[in-house]
Amino acid sequence: MAGSSIGMGEQDSVERDKFENELKHILKVSDESGILLRVIGALAFQMHCPKYGYLQHALGRAYTDIDFAAYARQTKEIQKLMNALGYQENHEVFIVSEGDRAIYEKPEAGLHVDVFYEKLDFCHVIHWEGRLEVDTPSIPLAELLLEKMQIVQINEKDVIDTIMLLLEHPLGDHDRETINIQRVAELCSSDWGLWRTTTMNLEKVRVLAQGYAQLTAEQKTEVDSQVKAALARLDQEPKTLAWRLRARVGDRVKWYKEVDEV
Amino acid sequence: MTKLVRDLMHPGVLTCRKNATLGQVAVLLTQNHIHALIVADRDNRFLGIISDYDLMAGEWLSVNSESLATMRSLTAADLMSYPIDTIEAGKTLIEAAHTMIEKDINRLLVVDHDAPAGVISISDFISSIAREEKARRDTVADVMSDAILVCRDKTPLISAARTMTQAGWRSVLVVDSKGQPQGVVSGKDLMPFVENGVNEKLTVREVMHPVLTINIHASLREAADQMIHNHYHRLVVVDEDNPKTFPLGIISSFDIVAEMARPGSIWQA
Repeated sequence: MAGSSIGMGEQDSVERDKFENELKHILKVSDESGILLRVIGALAFQMHCPKYGYLQHALGRAYTDIDFAAYARQTKEIQKLMNALGYQENHEVFIVSEGDRAIYEKPEAGLHVDVFYEKLDFCHVIHWEGRLEVDTPSIPLAELLLEKMQIVQINEKDVIDTIMLLLEHPLGDHDRETINIQRVAELCSSDWGLWRTTTMNLEKVRVLAQGYAQLTAEQKTEVDSQVKAALARLDQEPKTLAWRLRARVGDRVKWYKEVDEV
Repeated sequence: MTKLVRDLMHPGVLTCRKNATLGQVAVLLTQNHIHALIVADRDNRFLGIISDYDLMAGEWLSVNSESLATMRSLTAADLMSYPIDTIEAGKTLIEAAHTMIEKDINRLLVVDHDAPAGVISISDFISSIAREEKARRDTVADVMSDAILVCRDKTPLISAARTMTQAGWRSVLVVDSKGQPQGVVSGKDLMPFVENGVNEKLTVREVMHPVLTINIHASLREAADQMIHNHYHRLVVVDEDNPKTFPLGIISSFDIVAEMARPGSIWQA
């Protein structure tokens, strides 16, 4: 599979517990301080998939950091909180990203925390506004799906997380333990580029899932069925005029942003 | 009598070849003062329709030299909409309007016994509405222009002049940051610069003349009276019940004269 191998490899339970326990601690303290932090990334999938979370370990998916979504209006409170928890901020990242992202390190513990303010801005932009209150402790499942599906050069760790999500949760039109596919369809229907990448990656997940020996036949069938249903829903959603015009130009003009690893 | 599509359509169909570039299509649209062209193949079979909106994709997606090169290589066939929505010439205008609203489209190819006969567009409906304005003509509201060309007080004069030319308007209303009228710049205000040209730093604030307002419910005679007595060619139409709100329109001497020239007006009886 194309892409980086970061986030893949053997990881013992001690190391996994270290990340999970630290995450719980940060969430507890932030909650007590009235700070809205929502988990994204591998740990969010693990927390939101109690039944199928074992697949991360079984398929060689490793934790590398703790990622959060947050609102920019709480930037100062989050800086104060992380400092109080013994983290050092990489100020350069915050300045270069113009306040969109903060990285905190605790080198002696091998911990790295990433905070994405207001949006996830990689190949496509996924905005948080009005969505961080919807679910806890992670961002809503629809945004968790989009977090992975917006990556043009999707890699194995992203595919594994998506498979877990699709096995654990049904598709629906709300956010309660459900992947709000209506929300995904609405976002994709106004942005052809996001639609292009999302549909491309859903299809990749469907195909690649069939190749994992660790998945049962039923699980492979379930992933296949969930992806087809999601694609059908995205197809049904009425598209904006801008979407239709952009679709005519298609892949001839690049539809995503290149992303550099930080 | 019920009006039919053939009564309002533009007869004849302007086409471009499917391999015409976006630049070539733009020239054809501009030269013919139209908003869309039918895309045809060598045998003049109609393939689709390309509009000025479709062409905007060129500007929209040309974010760098690479994408600009790509967009410049696109042809009419790449960006056209197809299939072409059609309507029979004998259908009523109401049916045509319903079709356009339902399909959210701006124009229909008109066919007469399966042969292309013309195009009917939203512009035709707008002009139709304009022609069918009510016969009553005794107030400012009946003849004023609701649409106003507006610019900020710090707008360069040269920019305002260019916009007036492009829009085919003879005046522009100057407003402040809160939308309150500050003055009007008319063609007459620009005349002094014909001989020596306009200094690029000159703003509309420095050449505009004061605004004269008139109530929307005033009679045409009152409007004419005010214009004549103040030697003004246009008045800003306001709602005197809500004087702080943005103006409702502009009435010009031309509007009054056009009303006089309108077939069916009392001046043409």
